[in-house]
Amino acid sequence: MNCNEAGALVAAHADDELGGFRRHSIEKHLRSCAGCATKHQGVLALRARLRAEVPYFRAPPALHTRVRAMLADTHAVAPARPRLEPNRWRWLTGGALAGCTATVLAWVVGTAVIDWRANEDVAVEAVATHVRATLNNHLIEVASSDQHTVKPWLSARLDYSPPVQDLADEGFVLAGGRLDTLEKRPVATLVYRYRQHTIDVFVRPEAAHAPSSLRTVRGFNVAYATGAGMDWLAVSDVSADVLSTFVQRLARAAASQ
Amino acid sequence: MSQHPRFEELVLPHLDAGYNMARWLTRNVNDAEDVVQDACVRALTYVGALHGSDGKAWFLTIVRHAFYDWCRRNRPAEIAPDDGTAIDLAIDPAAMDPQQAALRGAESRMLADAVAELPLIFREVLILRELEELSYKEIARIADVPIGTVMSRLARARGLLQRSPLLHAAR
Repeated sequence: MNCNEAGALVAAHADDELGGFRRHSIEKHLRSCAGCATKHQGVLALRARLRAEVPYFRAPPALHTRVRAMLADTHAVAPARPRLEPNRWRWLTGGALAGCTATVLAWVVGTAVIDWRANEDVAVEAVATHVRATLNNHLIEVASSDQHTVKPWLSARLDYSPPVQDLADEGFVLAGGRLDTLEKRPVATLVYRYRQHTIDVFVRPEAAHAPSSLRTVRGFNVAYATGAGMDWLAVSDVSADVLSTFVQRLARAAASQ
Repeated sequence: MSQHPRFEELVLPHLDAGYNMARWLTRNVNDAEDVVQDACVRALTYVGALHGSDGKAWFLTIVRHAFYDWCRRNRPAEIAPDDGTAIDLAIDPAAMDPQQAALRGAESRMLADAVAELPLIFREVLILRELEELSYKEIARIADVPIGTVMSRLARARGLLQRSPLLHAAR
């Protein structure tokens, strides 16, 4: 092995990445070549200094606490979802065995479960999106209390134009908007402030399945309404009745525009 | 069945590794915590799809993704597209805790500063190799580049450190 061949392998050898023949050859070369041996020593010496002098930052107790709190928060809802799948299959299998009537019955039940799951999933996803935006401090991409600023910003980035209302005189102050994805589709998110709370409202063209009314996911309330050809999905930690009234109010106001 | 036991078994043991990486990438205490928390939210969602038991490389991949998403929003200038000309001007003086810096000698401070000043793409492979002691193959998987690129970035990182004026001032 000459220095040209060895040059490329010196670091890999210092990183213990060579085996068998190549390792044997480079070791032999290092014994006979001072230049390459110095390079090899350089990598080892730098490593020794890095490991001795450069701090390894361990997760602070506060982070452990935050992660534990996140786990505790999600505990209530996590077990509910995966259990649904086997149930649906059992229904379908049972239906096939029991004959035509039972099959039809199973189909009806299965469809209901799929619809219900779709709602469940979109609520869970909306809450996850809300939490992520809050934790990252990434709630607002276009900050404005003026609906005529927020609406064109959103319309320019989506294939639909979400109605935007300011309900400041009822206590819901428009703070701005951002883009998210919900069920793999880009969606307009309007951000409102209500007293000390933040409310995210996901606005998208009306989906095929009719949304159910109100759910609680990981301690957040999720309320739906439809109006003006749109689905309105609000996520917040404000009380369920306030949130539900607010989202219906938004949808009605949009419809009457 | 809940994903929590899998998360606790496969991800939580690597929280330190995730934080260390996020800390060296963001060079800031609070930002590192935010990135790791975001990574944990993602890891909890996808831990069901994790086959095998190599939670460390898997979690570090997620931390890295979370970091780059964070970086695109907060420090887009830092993501340099090109290996050869990447210049990192964003030097965060708060790369170390004040008390940590005080505990260590001026010399250590110099080396840590030199690492913190490495351009992002070199810093990440160096941290994964020298502090996390991962193999080229694992680093290639985490950084989503071929092994050859890992080797050239590592060589570049070492070269930059060995030539760093900070390091020589310390000697």
